[in-house]
Amino acid sequence: MFQISQDFAPPFKLIAPFFIIGSFFYLFSSVFLFGFDGESLSVMNPTVIAFAHLFLLGFVMMIIFGAMAQLVPVVLEVGHFAVELFYAIWPLLLIGTLLMIGGFLYAPALLPYGGMIVLISMMIFVVEIFLTMKQVKKLNIVMTSVLLSNTFLFMGIIVGLVMALGYAGEIDVDIASLLTSHIYFVVGGYVSITLMGLSVVLLPMFGLSHGFSLKPLEVALYMMSTSVMIVFLDALFSFSSIVSYIGYLLSIVAMGIYFYQVYTIFKTRARKENDIYVKSLFFAYLSLIAALVLIALYFLSSYEPLLLAGGWLIVYGLFAFAITGHIYKIIPFLVWFERFSPLVGKQKVPMLADMLPPKSSEAQFIFSALGVIVVAVALILQNTQLLHAGASFLVVGALAFIRSVFYMINFK
Amino acid sequence: MYTKEELFRAISTVIDPEVGFNLVEMGLIYDAVADEEGNVKVTMTLSTKACPLHQMIVQWVKEAVEKLPDVKDVEVEVVWEPEWNITMADENVKKALGA
Repeated sequence: MFQISQDFAPPFKLIAPFFIIGSFFYLFSSVFLFGFDGESLSVMNPTVIAFAHLFLLGFVMMIIFGAMAQLVPVVLEVGHFAVELFYAIWPLLLIGTLLMIGGFLYAPALLPYGGMIVLISMMIFVVEIFLTMKQVKKLNIVMTSVLLSNTFLFMGIIVGLVMALGYAGEIDVDIASLLTSHIYFVVGGYVSITLMGLSVVLLPMFGLSHGFSLKPLEVALYMMSTSVMIVFLDALFSFSSIVSYIGYLLSIVAMGIYFYQVYTIFKTRARKENDIYVKSLFFAYLSLIAALVLIALYFLSSYEPLLLAGGWLIVYGLFAFAITGHIYKIIPFLVWFERFSPLVGKQKVPMLADMLPPKSSEAQFIFSALGVIVVAVALILQNTQLLHAGASFLVVGALAFIRSVFYMINFK
Repeated sequence: MYTKEELFRAISTVIDPEVGFNLVEMGLIYDAVADEEGNVKVTMTLSTKACPLHQMIVQWVKEAVEKLPDVKDVEVEVVWEPEWNITMADENVKKALGA
């Protein structure tokens, strides 16, 4: 018999803190938007940097790390090296993130401490994943994506730490030139490649898709990796601006090819039901397309708000909706596994779909989607009132998301 | 001893909690044979190799067959050839899924 894996479902108490803390950070990030002035936003503004870390570390990374505790064995087809290490990851990531936010907003001296604690939490994560990967005998393209993404995460946090030391005045470095490679390592190299790799396992699994090729993923993966390396090397050696533009262009094309991969999976799906998961994923991928169009327009026009709106759609449209959508699959599965699977054959047990809160999940989807769209428009028009209006929608959406998370966790 | 139909009927009590259909109507059970001594061998697949319920589903199939009174031993083999696809499912499943 062909054995697939062991330890597919780690104890829920190990993963639950990641999801609970992550969902609260989703709310905090949305509230944070009220502090933005639509007319003077810049990527070097400390408030913007604080927001980016609040959202990316507190929400995106926190939930990805928690989800990986369950998804790594599914994807790698081997059990974790030491899944208990995840008990140490979330407290460190939480403390480190809070210190970094405090550092960006009030006391830059806190940054190296926060950065170091975040670094330790991520190092534990990366080392655990690498040691788990050592058990894999033959890498397929999805496993390769996990290897690549975690290597980029490792490099991204090293660059981030160097920047934090520079920001606090401890060492003398050119923060601006390192910023792009830090963003590319973490957002392009880790989050995007993780999304690429995991989605080609999860989308067909939930949609019952069959008979599609993984060639587009392979091309997108190597193109994105090349792009990240070009941007990093350019930051180190300051080649001509053409080189960095090639790097940016490659990442845009890579995301376009990845979208084509997703399209082929959706086209071959047998399960046509549009539940909250599918709707969230549709919105996520539509946000990606809109973002690519806006970024392309930015390169043609040099109108910076288009770039900001494109970046916004990638993080709050693509990443956030891909994450919230998957939460509606992962939490019910883990709770069901722990609470109801021992009762199978003995008494009637709920289906996974029964564990979803229909009203709050729908409210979350509608309010968050409206918020993402309104803020994107506000960024393009540089309109502060519209931006705050969008933030209001996002806050309601985030509250509904928290309600959904607790509903699923407490389902009995 | 038990016929293939009787074994399939026993396995049809096992439901995939994600899609809500039983394994037989999903077309995931390829074969089931019982010998005179009560030894049963079930050959089945899963809709994806990455199924996190892999081991649990195999266990449920085993337990469902073991409930038959004259069954002594059950072996469940999971195979990946032929690869499952929606055309293997019953018409009611395809219709419900919108395939």
